[in-house]
Amino acid sequence: MTVFATNGPARKRGVGLNADATLGLLLVSPIIITMAALVFYPMGRTVWDSLHRVNPMQAGAPFVGLENYSRMLSDGQLGATWTNTLMYVLLAVVAETVFGILAATLINQIKVGRQWVLAAVILPWALPGVVNSVIWLWIYQPGAGLLNGILVAIGLPFENHVWFNDRTSAIIAVTVVHVWRMMPLTIVIVLAAMQSIPAHLYEAARIDGATRVQMFGLVTLPLIRSAIAVAMTNATVNAFNLFDEAWVLAGASLETRPVLVQIYLETFQNLRFSYGMALSVVITLVSLLISLVYVLRVYRNTRFD
Amino acid sequence: MHKFILPLLASVALAIALPAAAKDPKPLAGQSITVLMPSPQGPNIAADFEAETGIHVDLQTLSWDDIRPKLVTALVAGTAPADVTELDWSWTGQFSAAGWFLPLNDAIDADTMKDIGVAKIFTVDGKLLGVPYTNDFRVMLVNKKHFADAGVAEMPKKLDDLVAAAKKIKEKGIAKYPIGLPLSATEGASTSWYLLTKAFGGELFDKDFNPLFLSPDSAGYKALAFELMLLKEGLVDPASTGLKDSQINESMFSQGITSIMISGEPGRLGQMNDPKQSKVAGLVEAILVPTVSGQTRSFGLPEALAIPNVSQNKEAAIAFVKWFTSKDYQKKNAVNGALPTRTSALSELNESGKLNSGDALVAQSKTVEPLFLQGTPPWYPQFSSGVNTAINSAAKGQMTVDQAMQAIADAAKQAMSQ
Repeated sequence: MTVFATNGPARKRGVGLNADATLGLLLVSPIIITMAALVFYPMGRTVWDSLHRVNPMQAGAPFVGLENYSRMLSDGQLGATWTNTLMYVLLAVVAETVFGILAATLINQIKVGRQWVLAAVILPWALPGVVNSVIWLWIYQPGAGLLNGILVAIGLPFENHVWFNDRTSAIIAVTVVHVWRMMPLTIVIVLAAMQSIPAHLYEAARIDGATRVQMFGLVTLPLIRSAIAVAMTNATVNAFNLFDEAWVLAGASLETRPVLVQIYLETFQNLRFSYGMALSVVITLVSLLISLVYVLRVYRNTRFD
Repeated sequence: MHKFILPLLASVALAIALPAAAKDPKPLAGQSITVLMPSPQGPNIAADFEAETGIHVDLQTLSWDDIRPKLVTALVAGTAPADVTELDWSWTGQFSAAGWFLPLNDAIDADTMKDIGVAKIFTVDGKLLGVPYTNDFRVMLVNKKHFADAGVAEMPKKLDDLVAAAKKIKEKGIAKYPIGLPLSATEGASTSWYLLTKAFGGELFDKDFNPLFLSPDSAGYKALAFELMLLKEGLVDPASTGLKDSQINESMFSQGITSIMISGEPGRLGQMNDPKQSKVAGLVEAILVPTVSGQTRSFGLPEALAIPNVSQNKEAAIAFVKWFTSKDYQKKNAVNGALPTRTSALSELNESGKLNSGDALVAQSKTVEPLFLQGTPPWYPQFSSGVNTAINSAAKGQMTVDQAMQAIADAAKQAMSQ
């Protein structure tokens, strides 16, 4: 029996001259419409409104140009909140990346019940930020808190210690809660990349006499680099967006106040909506610019042309 | 004869019945409204109102600090957060400028306005934006037993006496931190400082809104220095830097852990003397605010009920406001911590002995002054945020008193320039 294959060009079915392009447009149109309605239009509107004076206490919304942006330079509290935010970003990205890779490596070694360990690790990420923060608020409590209880039990002088009365310990305490919540995401991303590394690469390295540390440094790390970059991008954006942890643990305290809380106060307390919008635009740009560094690096490392 | 009598009787019966039927005692029965108020509130408000008017009430309560963001987000978006909402004295300037609330001048009669003296705090440019329902001002709340156990026979009239009493209570080991004073970046920290500024014999601003607290010999400066001294002497819990006033009231004073609420709320007396809600029931009393001179002072922080312009149920909402601020209900609601705003209700309650620490409250109410003689300015929330942020930082040792006062002055200047 002979099978005849037709090698001629497939007949295009569809409407118009370029049916493929039409189909392609149809397929992407839902996401384009969704993004346009929920992301691009609000962003564009926010940028536009940030160039006006939008304040419900004052009639009208006159165009004020860059006044809302220039005001940031003379805003004393804003400087402190930027410092706090950059500290959160630095500490959180480093901690989430380092401990996330280590945790993923450990979980990757588990042969039995890995899914249960992974489920347990993911739990903080699955919980709402406010719930996580309230749990940690109890842990940090000066009197009956678990942390002070443990430290006192091992003989350290931490009875009634107030962690939020010192700026350094307060910043670290807020960062710990954020890292606790977001690190599972890093673990999942890195673990997925680790599991896609072919086993024969480790086999070859073993035959060549590589130690486990060398295998990790020379085989694992280079092959999960793009995943690490994705995880770091996530970590950076999330750290710039830190709000729940700082708000629940320390309220509007200036020593721990991130830029997002400042935006909230300017907008909903002081009713300076356009100034809040200008601040939102700036933090979005800064967050995107820093993330772009990772993204471009991943692009360079993964392109094959 | 019967031909005439029967129709006559029927006509008389109809003549009596028809006007009664026309004047329905529950004309809005079947309607539903939402009400947003700070917690705690009496448990039977909705049921009592529905029984009287037939209007169903969905009562939502939030902590005082959480209500404002909810109001602002909804009102800016042009939606009603509730048909009847809380309106604090401190929001009046800002919310009036935004034009969010329905003027109630036509809904409230002249006698009510006369009876509720503090209504003028909620009147801006002749428009009554809210009807005051709780006559909040500051007194000092004390645990009588702690004072007696420490051997303090006379309640303090001066700030020095207060410190001496607190030290005695601490020395005797009755309370580790005898004074409850919120130092977190919340409104409670601001109001405590305002009260102490008055207690030191001063004001916040002059008539042109120039700050009066920058000089070391000013009352505001001394008030913050006094707060830091209490903290340093171990009379105030260092954890107060993270506690709201409501948390100190509920988790410390009501539990017998502290002895003195320096900026006490009269409305909490009922709750604190209720054995179901408090471990210090029967032991709490209000005393006049001690001052440097011994001449007590206080300021008013009344709260009102207001109706957003965008409410869809204005008639039923007005009915609720009238009912909740009526003399009868104010007298009844006093047990839930709402001190009557009607002078008549306050006097009657005190005369009948139903007012907790009635004599002290009536005496203190006569000394109540407005915080701002010019009326609450629209920039108050931003100024107050600057105040409590600076106090919080100073209490944590991140700022000196000088720096904190300068930070407050800067916050005021920035707020005014808006």
